[in-house]
Amino acid sequence: MAKASKTKVLTSSDINRMTFRTLLNQACFNYERMQSIGFTAAMAPELEKIYEDDKDGLKEVLKDNLEFINTHNVLLSFLIGLMLSLYEKGEKPETVRGIKVALFGPLAGIGDAIFWFTLMPIMSGISASLASEGNVLGPILYFVVFFIAFLLRFPLAHIGYSMGTKAFEVIQKNTEIINRCATTVGVTILGGLIASYVSLTLLPTIDTGNGVVVSIQEEFIDMIFPNLLPFAFTFACYGLLKKKVNPTIIILGTIVLAILGSYIGLV
Amino acid sequence: MEITLFQGIIITIAVMLLAIDNQLEGFFLFRPIIVAPIIGALLGDLNTGLIAGGLVELSFAGITAVGGVTPPNAIVCSTMTVVLAHTTGQGVEMAFTLAYPFGLLMQQIATLYNTVLVAFNKKAEKYAEKCNVKGLFKLCFYGILGNSLLYGVVVFLSAYVAQDAMRELVDALPEFLTHGLSVAGGLIPAIGFAMLLRVMLKARYVPYLLAGFLFASFIQMNNILPVAIMGLIFALLTYFNETDNAAKGVVNDGEGI
Repeated sequence: MAKASKTKVLTSSDINRMTFRTLLNQACFNYERMQSIGFTAAMAPELEKIYEDDKDGLKEVLKDNLEFINTHNVLLSFLIGLMLSLYEKGEKPETVRGIKVALFGPLAGIGDAIFWFTLMPIMSGISASLASEGNVLGPILYFVVFFIAFLLRFPLAHIGYSMGTKAFEVIQKNTEIINRCATTVGVTILGGLIASYVSLTLLPTIDTGNGVVVSIQEEFIDMIFPNLLPFAFTFACYGLLKKKVNPTIIILGTIVLAILGSYIGLV
Repeated sequence: MEITLFQGIIITIAVMLLAIDNQLEGFFLFRPIIVAPIIGALLGDLNTGLIAGGLVELSFAGITAVGGVTPPNAIVCSTMTVVLAHTTGQGVEMAFTLAYPFGLLMQQIATLYNTVLVAFNKKAEKYAEKCNVKGLFKLCFYGILGNSLLYGVVVFLSAYVAQDAMRELVDALPEFLTHGLSVAGGLIPAIGFAMLLRVMLKARYVPYLLAGFLFASFIQMNNILPVAIMGLIFALLTYFNETDNAAKGVVNDGEGI
């Protein structure tokens, strides 16, 4: 049986070093166990310290952590901080393992909602609009914001480490509301991005007979609603994706249709 | 414009470094908005890099590595968009459409690589058995190195070796084809956005989507920030409503379409 020391062996700088090592999380990403090797490597030196006089215990926790895991790369430091505090307090490895298995999925969900689905569209939209005008501030701003996201890993690790099992409750209680607020911002932004960055203009004109040429785009579609076509096209793609059509097929189909449309002079 | 051997080598080195971040997702340096300007600057054409970065970034907004799926490759796609725009002198929209197959190729290679790395799991178990922590770090190092080398090979071949063939191809394209490819470049962002919607959109969020769309359709903005702030307002309203409801014990299951 694992017999970890019940006294505090990890220092604040151990937690910081572990956090830096969370960068390794996807170093050996593979389809069988995903992040397992990098995840284990990130905390392995701290585990060595906790299980200094207990080789069997160390072996057990290393093998536990080499099981399948797929979680969020930023929130990961929080999870490892929490796990290390439990190992250090002499909690049974199978208990910690259970907590890990229960948490990594929800953390991935929260992290994706905040970083991929909210922060990313916002930053993509802002930075892309600057960059398209040739302003180098676009990429710089993007870099700064995501660098801050990286730095967040450090306080998160310390919070996880000091909260211990209390963290478990907090996450379970707040997952839903965090996801909902983040998605609200993300979806609003998406509406704006569709209007700003999808472009589709029809070229045909109608000759009304007395020498007046009317553009279908300007005189009809823009009169009904500007950006109607980009919105419709986006939702056509959405519908296809819902029918489980492969996105690559949709992209290739779009290219083919655009070329056909260009050939017949429609777009 | 031609890409010299020297330029080919520095682009390759830059991509190999950025590919490390692509794998580790540490600093988001693998996003088109960062990659394209870097490649542009290395080619002495920062402006093309910036414009390409804006276009490709938006197209990749929804094409993300969420849930362990290997997405079409953003680094190679961004790099090749800048390279092709630079070498052929065509617009970035068309260059992007032509660059897309290179991104797909890299995607296939990455999928293969992530399958090959399954072999590392056995090795890791052996190291764990011997409490060999250094061994785990060694695996991480090889995992990162192998990935980076693959990118280097693909980009060097695509950007430097194949440039004459690509230029000849573009020169041979008739007018309707180049125009069609540009039109496609303006539509591909929609597919990225649709992919995000596929994950995020439920009936309850439709009003916010329409509000954002209306706002950006009718109000002139220099960038998307005002829409983001409006989204934040909606989120705060949601938050206050939810906390009020929770206080009153109202259950909201959040189900939608």
